[in-house]
Amino acid sequence: MTSKNPETHKLDYVGKRIPRKDGPDKVTGRAKYTVDIQLPGMLVGSILRSPYPHARILNIDTSRARRLKGVKAVITSEDTLGMKYAFVDTPRYPPDEYALAKHRVRFIGEPVAAVAATDPYILGEALGLIRVDYEPLEAVFDPEEAMQLGASEIHPSHPKVKEPFPNIAGKTESEWGDIEHGFAHSDYVREDRFESHLRTHGYLEPQATVASYEPGGKLNVWTSSQGTFLKRSKLAPILGLPLSAVRVHKAYVGGAFGGKVDLFSHEFCAALLSMKIGRPVKIEASREEIFTAYRHGEPLIAEIKTGVKKDGTLVAQKFRIINNCGAYRGTGVVVIFLAWGYMMIPYRVPNLKYEGFSVYTNNPPRTAQRGHGCPQIRFAVESQLDMIAEELGLDPVEIRLKNARRQGEQLPNGDNVHNCGLKECIQKSAQHTQFLEKYGKSRPASSSNARLHRGIGMGVSAYITGSLIYPNSSAAIVKMNDDGTATLLTGALDIGQGAETILCQIVAEELKIPMEEIQVIAADTETTPTDLGSWISGNAYVTGNATRIAATEVRKKLLDMAAEEMEANIADLVLENKGVYVAGSPERRLSYQQLITSSIQKRRGDPIIGEGHWRNVRDVPFHPSLATTKGRWSDSYAFDAQVAEVEVDVETGQARLVRAVTAHDCGFPINPLLVEGQIDGQVSMALGHAFLEDVMMKEGRTLNPNWLEYRMPTIHNMAFSEYIDVITESYKKDAPYRTKEVGEGYVSGILAAIANAIYDAVGVRLHSTPFTPEKILRGLGKIK
Amino acid sequence: MKRLIELSINGERHELAVEPQTTLIEVLREQLGLTGTKEACGTGECGSCTVLIDGKPILSCLTLAMDCCEQHIVTIEGIAEGDQLTSVQQAFLDCGAIQCGFCTPGMVLSITALLERNSRPSETDIKKALEGHLCRCTGYNKIMEAVKKAAEHMAAKDS
Repeated sequence: MTSKNPETHKLDYVGKRIPRKDGPDKVTGRAKYTVDIQLPGMLVGSILRSPYPHARILNIDTSRARRLKGVKAVITSEDTLGMKYAFVDTPRYPPDEYALAKHRVRFIGEPVAAVAATDPYILGEALGLIRVDYEPLEAVFDPEEAMQLGASEIHPSHPKVKEPFPNIAGKTESEWGDIEHGFAHSDYVREDRFESHLRTHGYLEPQATVASYEPGGKLNVWTSSQGTFLKRSKLAPILGLPLSAVRVHKAYVGGAFGGKVDLFSHEFCAALLSMKIGRPVKIEASREEIFTAYRHGEPLIAEIKTGVKKDGTLVAQKFRIINNCGAYRGTGVVVIFLAWGYMMIPYRVPNLKYEGFSVYTNNPPRTAQRGHGCPQIRFAVESQLDMIAEELGLDPVEIRLKNARRQGEQLPNGDNVHNCGLKECIQKSAQHTQFLEKYGKSRPASSSNARLHRGIGMGVSAYITGSLIYPNSSAAIVKMNDDGTATLLTGALDIGQGAETILCQIVAEELKIPMEEIQVIAADTETTPTDLGSWISGNAYVTGNATRIAATEVRKKLLDMAAEEMEANIADLVLENKGVYVAGSPERRLSYQQLITSSIQKRRGDPIIGEGHWRNVRDVPFHPSLATTKGRWSDSYAFDAQVAEVEVDVETGQARLVRAVTAHDCGFPINPLLVEGQIDGQVSMALGHAFLEDVMMKEGRTLNPNWLEYRMPTIHNMAFSEYIDVITESYKKDAPYRTKEVGEGYVSGILAAIANAIYDAVGVRLHSTPFTPEKILRGLGKIK
Repeated sequence: MKRLIELSINGERHELAVEPQTTLIEVLREQLGLTGTKEACGTGECGSCTVLIDGKPILSCLTLAMDCCEQHIVTIEGIAEGDQLTSVQQAFLDCGAIQCGFCTPGMVLSITALLERNSRPSETDIKKALEGHLCRCTGYNKIMEAVKKAAEHMAAKDS
């Protein structure tokens, strides 16, 4: 299914493998990340954290800390406005977090006080001099225990969802069709439970914030984040400042993967300390703090009951999801909504019932991690689908093709999948890997002596392309410089994915200005227009279209001026290398420089500036209901099929990912080099999730808070990664293009494929991640 | 009690006041403003703080500044010649081996050292040279490609 649009002109920049614009800064060490920001008179700050998972605060005595020479300020919740905040703020889910704990702490690591001092040694001493008297309370760590009647209530006086269970932070319910009728008319029904474990983002750049409050009332902030406008919107109100008084500057970001979306206490504290002292304050979390007190990925329990016809057609599916939310709601109420979505997009399910719970426990709050629930969900769904296929005597490819969504299909929430390339993804990935020739051949016969077994598995997934959540919109400005070069102002934040580069490519394409002659000014809440941010898979589609529209406005003004000056028809004009010429008569040419001069002279001083804006799902005002899932969600969906080849050592139980093939319907790649990099990185995260990574906690305490014991993939774990493009969209001039996302959707299919490949290799079906040697050996009957 | 020491960094001599426990990375980043060297863990587990000391990749977060007085230190800021990127830097750029860029300076230095001592590294040699570097963004695939490309380019230049 290649692009059927003959409108695709010859493209000079979009679709090309262009090295990233910020590459030179990064490869020479010039790029300034938040951790690198140094301001005159800057102080260092740190947070005092709760040692208890659940306790009442009886008293905080900061007097000795305040008296220490070199300490400039100490703050507790009494110094704040006492306002709550949260990732989600709706009548159903009102904010539940304080920047500094008030009366009660609910997880080990919860911020209780903050100090600013002249150097790190004094800071450490000061933290030790703050005395907090706690009265420990009963704590609960397991979500299913927290849901039992009689469990310790973590938010006792807090308005919450009314459910017959305690500690419910959020609930999502959705259904269509007739689930019982569906099961009654299925030829085969099975029920399974899957569990995904706690793992973490592992971004290299630590959490850090520099805040500098200027006399006269302007707060300047640099913070390692995933969107400057989102951070400003959460930070300003709890400081009691209007948005206009808070400027969140651009800083390079050393990775985030979902772990830097929420507002953090240290951001608030750096700001408040700076406001009190009148000097800049930098707070940087240590790696140990990041592992212990910051937010890890959401561990999900998925109970799935599925009914199918004997030819493999899905008839009915019932889901119950439990999220171990941690001590505050965070993104936990969103993941239970997303889990519904990621379950229902790839395949047609005529009868569906979904129930998702986000449960409070006395653990540090959890947060989105790349895919935000999709990896955990696809692991469950795809594993069960393979189990069903085996029961019915079908192969994994045919059962997926049978149920895969097709182009133009309507989803139950009213969205349309438009140019869905899923079938082609499944077919091509199967073909390329010779899936059916290999599948089913590697399982050990009882007399097999081979120690290493290879297996192959497939996983299918789908992802949204941006959605509606504050700021809901992206805008862009393209302004021409006198010499015909251009400047792009965009609120987009490059967190490593290449946002600035692809937006620059779009401007270059529309205006035929070389990439090096376009300056990108980004992610500054004062000087650039609003942007969704880099956490909702909307950069390429939403910000990309906004940028295209802005550049188009400039293009039209240039053409209009050129037509007038050269007495030609606009239809006969061609743009090339910062100039416009008449087709067929290239000597009749005006440079942009000349056209801008003319425009200023003849268009009342118009220096030629273009503005563009875009948002998802333009015909509805709000995002879908988190509680009921009703409502339009996304303008298009990205689909993929991924195949994993694994090798399992049946003596040690060790397994590794040898090869990953990703057939992806991303629409069309704006920059294939960057797309490939995103896929590689996600394959790496998936194999980490599958084999290596595990945040081990006991009673709310992280036992392995360092990279020695939380093992992320090294170069030795690198898997051979291949890509198959399934092009279903094209870049259009003067019309919105519907390209899709590539930053989050490719962890899920590979994780599921790995689970299925292990089964193919050694006949062990794993229902929980990580796929440890112990679990594999137990499955083989070699250990108890 | 601070002491005065002299360090040679990127070919320049610097007189610095340090405490006995001051690490080299602290001197580089805080005192000299050479923020290209990154601290991601502070415990020697990730390789981001790598600098070259007498040509060898060393973890600057675990190195005491006072121990480096007689040595020749090179940071990421010291390898390009003005605007001219080195073969290694250019290869990282061309191959898409940079995403967030936080691990990049350390990797570039380790590879620079590798290619200095071994101009025809095997894939095993490359993995050994980079096994102490964590990268969360790239999965290492394009980094491996970049190293091979840099080696090829340097071999072509020499021949």
